[in-house]
Amino acid sequence: MEKKLSEMDFDEEGTVKEIEENLKKQVAGMGIREGKNVRMATKQPIKGPVVVEVDKSFTSLGLGIADKIVVEVE
Amino acid sequence: MPLSVDARWDLIDKISKQTVEFGARKHTLKDAIAELTVKPLTGIPVAIAVIYGFWSFFCDFAGTLFTDGFMVRLFDEHWLPWLQSVFPGGLKNPFYALMVDAGHIEGGVLVASDNCFEAFGVLTSGFFVVFGVVLWAVLAFYLMFAILEDAGYLPRLAVLVDTVLHKIGLHGYAIVPTFLSLGCNVPGVTATRPLETRKQRFMMMTLLAIFVPCGAQIGIMQDLVPEMMGWIFLTLAIGYLGFGFILNKIVPGKSPELIMDVPPYQMPTLRNIVRKLWIRTSRFLIVAVPFVLLGSIIVGLMYLTGAMDWLAAVLGPLLMGWFGVPSETVAPLIAGFLRKDLAVGILGGLMEQGIMTTFQVFTSVILLCIYFPCLATFALMLKEENGKEILGSLASLVAMVFVYGGLIHLVGIMLGVA
Amino acid sequence: MKILLMGHPNVGKSVFFNRLTGAKVLESNYPGTTVDFMKGWMRLEGEDVELIDVPGAFSLEPKDRAEEVAVKMLAENKDSVIVCVLDASKIERGLYLALEIIEKGYPAVVALNMWDVAEDKNIRIDVEKLERILGVPVVPTTAISGEGFKELVSKIKEAAPVKIEKIIESAGGRESAAVS
Ligand SMILES: Nc1nc2c(ncn2[C@@H]2O[C@H](COP(=O)(O)OP(=O)(O)O)[C@@H](O)[C@H]2O)c(=O)[nH]1
Ligand SMILES: [Mg+2]
Repeated sequence: MEKKLSEMDFDEEGTVKEIEENLKKQVAGMGIREGKNVRMATKQPIKGPVVVEVDKSFTSLGLGIADKIVVEVE
Repeated sequence: MPLSVDARWDLIDKISKQTVEFGARKHTLKDAIAELTVKPLTGIPVAIAVIYGFWSFFCDFAGTLFTDGFMVRLFDEHWLPWLQSVFPGGLKNPFYALMVDAGHIEGGVLVASDNCFEAFGVLTSGFFVVFGVVLWAVLAFYLMFAILEDAGYLPRLAVLVDTVLHKIGLHGYAIVPTFLSLGCNVPGVTATRPLETRKQRFMMMTLLAIFVPCGAQIGIMQDLVPEMMGWIFLTLAIGYLGFGFILNKIVPGKSPELIMDVPPYQMPTLRNIVRKLWIRTSRFLIVAVPFVLLGSIIVGLMYLTGAMDWLAAVLGPLLMGWFGVPSETVAPLIAGFLRKDLAVGILGGLMEQGIMTTFQVFTSVILLCIYFPCLATFALMLKEENGKEILGSLASLVAMVFVYGGLIHLVGIMLGVA
Repeated sequence: MKILLMGHPNVGKSVFFNRLTGAKVLESNYPGTTVDFMKGWMRLEGEDVELIDVPGAFSLEPKDRAEEVAVKMLAENKDSVIVCVLDASKIERGLYLALEIIEKGYPAVVALNMWDVAEDKNIRIDVEKLERILGVPVVPTTAISGEGFKELVSKIKEAAPVKIEKIIESAGGRESAAVS
């Protein structure tokens, strides 16, 4: 099933399916890219940022950014 | 020739497949702690505990142990009486008044001061402010800050507060310059550089310069009016968020969303902590000492020449009418252009003479925080951003001081305490 | 010739810098900004060479002032050797920056720092093979204990620019890795 990264539940894992073109460069340095496994490490309430784990490193992304990343989950 | 982002990743995948083998992933205790401190349910209580611990250490170590336990006695019982006995001249001698003790009127007669807040001398009040109070506060602050910084806690704090700060157009990362400014606004301004856009940096600097009191100032306030600290911080925090909200609406530019690496926790090393402590404290002293001494000389001279009384008479109606503080507040406000800690110290002297109500003390303390950044901060802001932006910053500052200062007065009137 | 230490924040660049330089170091301010960087000198085959601790950057696509400075410093020092400091336990995203630098034509040496951490995490890296593919020296290091530093220093002179097409080839062809 596909969903937005921002819609993943806490501790849910998935594979990055698609990243909006102009966002790709911005998150590349953090190791976030299509085909990678991601895990939702934390979600903050009231539209706060998320923290995702990719390759054992953690990155915090604003919700608006997490909206632009599509993941495939089981 | 450079590759596209996708092509580069493809290449890395190929390289990694042939050369890297990832063993089984173990979830360690460190990972568990790392997650607990960013999850809101556990992270927020942890953050409150950390800040509470920070504040207790600040008060106990700097305030109670060093300042009250040792420095106040050293300065009031030894340094001041000793200077009063050996310094040439006497109470009515202008040089003596400038350097040691201006004295004050009690029952119509000029009497000698019995503590370093009241004395107003360069060698007494000036030295006491720097070495008796402020140095210990700043040292305690930077020690705690360096530990949190090296342990890797700050990015977690940034994640937790991003929710709130994003609403006023800033990043969660803005907590770092804000927090650092609670030590000294100068490195705080420097720390605005990881913010991404001009708008964010401009907003951050303006908010810092206005609403974040520095460690020197907090140290003195904590010594003078410990019972008011909660209200002071609350008033400043409301101003920070409220004014930030308004600035976000009127300042053009973008507020991009957070993309931030959250590095793993690390055991802070003693060597690194000591090095940072040394660098930051020595920089603080280089900025603070000359300005405090210069400030005490200027204020002293203005008293001696009558310039202060003249200014008090001119500005008195405005101060009393709009902000509800007595005309004597002119002196600390003048000193505040140079150093906020000295300014609060002078305010302390006025308090001891009993010419202010509690609410007036409160309003004055807030006014001292917000009416202008200290000279060193202002100079750095000038260097950091171009003149036009600084003008904008100043214009919003003036508007804000009148609005917020007046508002506090109004609330005071409505509550019947002003 | 200058040597630039580049890498993500928190990978150990400053520990490298402190270990490699002598007593004479300078903290400088990049003109027009408040971004500080450290500058010092190291002995390299009997010569004193300038070493710069460049502010940390995640990529050459600057997001903030510190990253901007890193990119500018790279552009202004065309004749320097870049020591790419990577966190071996996060090698892939480290390679992203290293490749960006190599693509720009700089001679580079890759230091796989935090080797101890990678070992703890059960990450095994075939250094020789990586070196063959990249065509630049690759040295595992643990900066806090100084392990690997001698080898790293001895390899700085071997650094030479590598064409990215050659790396693609050694990695096994170009079918999907199209040059943009
Ligand atoms: N375990 C381990 N820690 C390291 C190593 N190199 C650096 N560190 C630690 O990693 C942290 C970041 O190092 P630093 O030099 O400040 O990183 P920089 O941001 O790249 O300059 C410090 O706490 C170092 O002590 C290493 O090889 N192994
Ligand atoms: Mg560093």
